[in-house]
Amino acid sequence: MPTPWPRSNSQPKVLPPRPLRLLGGAVIAMAVALLVVLVLWSIASAAYGQPETAAPLPDVAHLLRMSAIQAALSTVLSLLVGTALAWSLNRLRFAGRNLVIALFASAIVTPGLIVAFGLLTVWGRSGWINAIANVLFHTSIDTPIFGLGGILAAHVILDAAFAARILLARLDAIPSTRLKTGQGLALTPAKRFATIDWPALRGTMPGLAAIIFLLAFTSFPIVLLLGGGPANQTLEVAIYSAVRLDFNLHGAVILALAQIGFCSIIILAASAFAPIPSTLGPSAGQRWADRGFAKAVQWTVLLACIIGFALPLLAVLAGGFSSNLPALFARPSFPSALATSLAIGTLSALLTLVLALGLGSARAATLRPLARIGLAAPAYAYLAVPAVVLALGFFLLVRTMGIEPATAGPAVVILGNALLSLPFAIATLGPPLEAVASGQGKLIRSLGLSGWQQFVRVEWPLLGREIGVVLALAFCFSLGDLGVISFFGTQDFSTLPLLLVRALGAYRTDDAAIVAAVMLVITVAAFTALPQFFARWSDAQA
Amino acid sequence: MHFIARLALAVVIGLAAHPAAAADKPSLTIYTYDGFAGEYGPGPGLKAGFEAQCGCTVNFVGTDSSIGALRRVQLEGATTSADIVLGLDTSIAGEARATGLFAPHGLALTGLSLPVKWTDPEFVPFDYGYFAFVYDKTKVANPPKSFEELIAKPTTFKIAIEDPRSDTPGLGLLLWIRAAYGDKAPEIWKGLKPHIVTMARSWDDAYGLFLKGEADMALSYTTSPAYHAITDKTDKYASARFDEGHYAQIEVAGMLKSSKHQDLAKQFLGYLTSVPAQKIIPTTNWMYPVVDLGADLPAEFNALPKPAKLLSLDEKTITANKDKWIADALAAIQ
Amino acid sequence: MLRLEGIRFAYAPEALPYRFDMVAQPGEISAVMGASGAGKSTLLDLIAGFLLPQAGSMTLDGVDLLPLQPEDRPVSLLFQSNTLFEHLSAENNVALGLPRPTRRKDAGPLIAAALAEVGLAGIGKQRAATLSGGQKQRVALARTLLRNKPVLLLDEPFSALDDETRVAARDLVRNLTRAHDWTTILVSHHTEDVQALATCRYRIAAGVLLPEGNTAA
Repeated sequence: MPTPWPRSNSQPKVLPPRPLRLLGGAVIAMAVALLVVLVLWSIASAAYGQPETAAPLPDVAHLLRMSAIQAALSTVLSLLVGTALAWSLNRLRFAGRNLVIALFASAIVTPGLIVAFGLLTVWGRSGWINAIANVLFHTSIDTPIFGLGGILAAHVILDAAFAARILLARLDAIPSTRLKTGQGLALTPAKRFATIDWPALRGTMPGLAAIIFLLAFTSFPIVLLLGGGPANQTLEVAIYSAVRLDFNLHGAVILALAQIGFCSIIILAASAFAPIPSTLGPSAGQRWADRGFAKAVQWTVLLACIIGFALPLLAVLAGGFSSNLPALFARPSFPSALATSLAIGTLSALLTLVLALGLGSARAATLRPLARIGLAAPAYAYLAVPAVVLALGFFLLVRTMGIEPATAGPAVVILGNALLSLPFAIATLGPPLEAVASGQGKLIRSLGLSGWQQFVRVEWPLLGREIGVVLALAFCFSLGDLGVISFFGTQDFSTLPLLLVRALGAYRTDDAAIVAAVMLVITVAAFTALPQFFARWSDAQA
Repeated sequence: MHFIARLALAVVIGLAAHPAAAADKPSLTIYTYDGFAGEYGPGPGLKAGFEAQCGCTVNFVGTDSSIGALRRVQLEGATTSADIVLGLDTSIAGEARATGLFAPHGLALTGLSLPVKWTDPEFVPFDYGYFAFVYDKTKVANPPKSFEELIAKPTTFKIAIEDPRSDTPGLGLLLWIRAAYGDKAPEIWKGLKPHIVTMARSWDDAYGLFLKGEADMALSYTTSPAYHAITDKTDKYASARFDEGHYAQIEVAGMLKSSKHQDLAKQFLGYLTSVPAQKIIPTTNWMYPVVDLGADLPAEFNALPKPAKLLSLDEKTITANKDKWIADALAAIQ
Repeated sequence: MLRLEGIRFAYAPEALPYRFDMVAQPGEISAVMGASGAGKSTLLDLIAGFLLPQAGSMTLDGVDLLPLQPEDRPVSLLFQSNTLFEHLSAENNVALGLPRPTRRKDAGPLIAAALAEVGLAGIGKQRAATLSGGQKQRVALARTLLRNKPVLLLDEPFSALDDETRVAARDLVRNLTRAHDWTTILVSHHTEDVQALATCRYRIAAGVLLPEGNTAA
């Protein structure tokens, strides 16, 4: 029977149907969304039992405006610098390249406080740069490290390095045939960027921009330390003071809703962009270095970034090598905090991976805009939920369920940090999963591969490195956590960041510097080792 | 590893084995700030000292700040497992009292040695100090002797202070200026503005910036130089003595009405103000003890200058005006 | 026998409508010619199920194919490129054609036999990315052997190969089609391929598929 137009879909159906993946993703997305609702509900219901406080709410509109301007600047700068850095790293080969990449990548998960102090060690009034300037020119440079300048600098260090890591992976995945074609056409470096690099980067940009914007928007310790005072504030800071100081839970819920509402607009806008499919996996050894002026620019960018980004982190490492080292390591508290941190980080990383794979592969299995938003938005919401709100909500929930906070502590810290790392994990795994679905979908369908075969034979071998990156990210996030743990700590539950804060709070800046350096070493090690290990492991099974 | 196994178990079933406590011993739970409970703080020493005499187990639960400890008790209400909240100070004692959660301690508290006469029926003091700006003698030759002198310094002279909303020394500075200048306080804040390198979330951050050389002075305590003298063996740090006088912070502990171990809690508060417990305080919390320790107080503490004048504000005024004063100060430096 | 009757398809209401009618017999190779963009790949996508026609019927031995999803159609596809997962070894690529479930210990011999049949014994461990164009097509044919679907669709399979390799690949396709009684449809704009292989010929012109008269190969 002839059927009238438009019964059929005129676009080729290349996406393999994956009902189980969609179901799994939907369940995770709903659970994750439900948890946000529960967290806010439990705070709201606690607020209900509380007398209305007289404490005035801060000017929300002003805070929103201030935060948005700062966040927009941070985002634009981070993406520009991140792209330039990724471009340079993609072209240049030198000894220690992997270590440099790992150092850059680790910036995003380094606790803000450590970055801020590293920044000061280099750029501060008594920092390295000024020390050199004093020797050479007998004058100090007045670096604008406090105020908006300092906030932007710290955010660019954290976020541009993260952006560079993600973008570099896209550039490294450009197929060698495309490079050969370009090389054959003798494209100029600028043309090459426009025709080969940019299309590979484009798909990642909206998600990346949204993440960086939200990170800067909700930035907390950096804004407080480098902001120079109440003139530079974020909504997150106001929420913190409403919860912890004024005990104004009504206000906290209102401010948190304002923040989540505003951030949701950003998130929805970003997730509505269907990422442009990108190619996968490192290209087969095709090397095409730029020459001449472009090469000089690349080295300049790289050196500037190393001085700007890596030096503050190196300063943290250098600060850790003090005479107190053996004494601190010999304390019983150190190995136990180290073991706790490692255990929490590992479990949290595994949980993040499972959740991100569930959501990402479900998202890649559908083209429906609403389903795609519904699958990603709840996870991205955790970029907007203030850690202090999450911690408070979990605390109240756990008590409502009749569980001792101290007992639930480890589980909550693991879950909380997994949720906070989830947006980053999805941003990392999402594009390559989409690339598999759209790029290899036809072959997968024509062979009738099952979802499991698709994972084992196609996704796992191709995504090994990204899986390693996600594990490293989530691991380091929980390693550095101070937000979620704040409500759940007890005297026998200690982690490295708690140790650090305790040392700082007890004048022991030397001990704090050592713990900071140890955390940084673990972070960099995780970022160097995990992606490579997983890339090799998954590749070995191909 | 036993710990990992327990952790894994906790994740899988959402429950972990309770901290092993001997079933026959009562357990005293004390909420306090993390620095007090932690290994550098007085917590471990006090725990050992009290457990030796009480036949009980002391369980310190650290939160991120002393205000955090109070908030937690407020959230938990009557079902809290805490018996004592320790680490509040006189600036927020009024707010804590108003919650109605605290029980009278019923202790005589004779023999205290405090800058003020202690009559509080609910809170027991355990240490005190004076807020002051600390500087490095090798870098600052002429420290300011008043807020006005500080304001008159060139704007390259920087101070690191704490946010009054998030940190008790920050609140202390606010009350200090208020006690010294009354309604003129916002003008002082306006004058301080160009000198403030940052208003940090916590004392740790502000003092850390100062030690890194980012600020010439940091708001801390007159007792801070004693730490550097005793532990770092250096006398280059000192506190600037202000002619207006200094504001005192007295840290207190209180027992909760909901506690099932009223006697034990009371016994602990008594122990807290005893000489053996007080001997632990100076070199762990770096504050003055509340009893006269005589020769047992490290000499470095006796060498510290005492303020010329003691400033104070009464609890009711603080509780009634705190929020407005904070808003005024923040507006002045915005 | 694969039969397409009155299959109509257009990418958009205003676009050129296609009309396809054909009958293809097992053991034979039907060649479809036409200029680039004439609709040759559209025809294969319709048979493979990636596109659904707006009208018409499609049956294999009387069984209606149209309700079947791509993965359920009795069809193997061989593209011009991108026929293999480049990151997998030849062996693992071939293994994807094994019927499920196949026991692990049975898989090895089956894969080895398939590779041997296409003349590639011993290259099983090599990465697909390292194989030559001709080898890749033969690995894909080995996978087709294991899938053992009655219809083989070839989309310009030899165009990336040099002359010597393409002759060998053509022979292989012809032999396999006969040996396994496949209904093979070859899409090509290369007259030499068509002359060498086709048992019957079609041409797409102005969106319509027309027979060109049969020749014996």
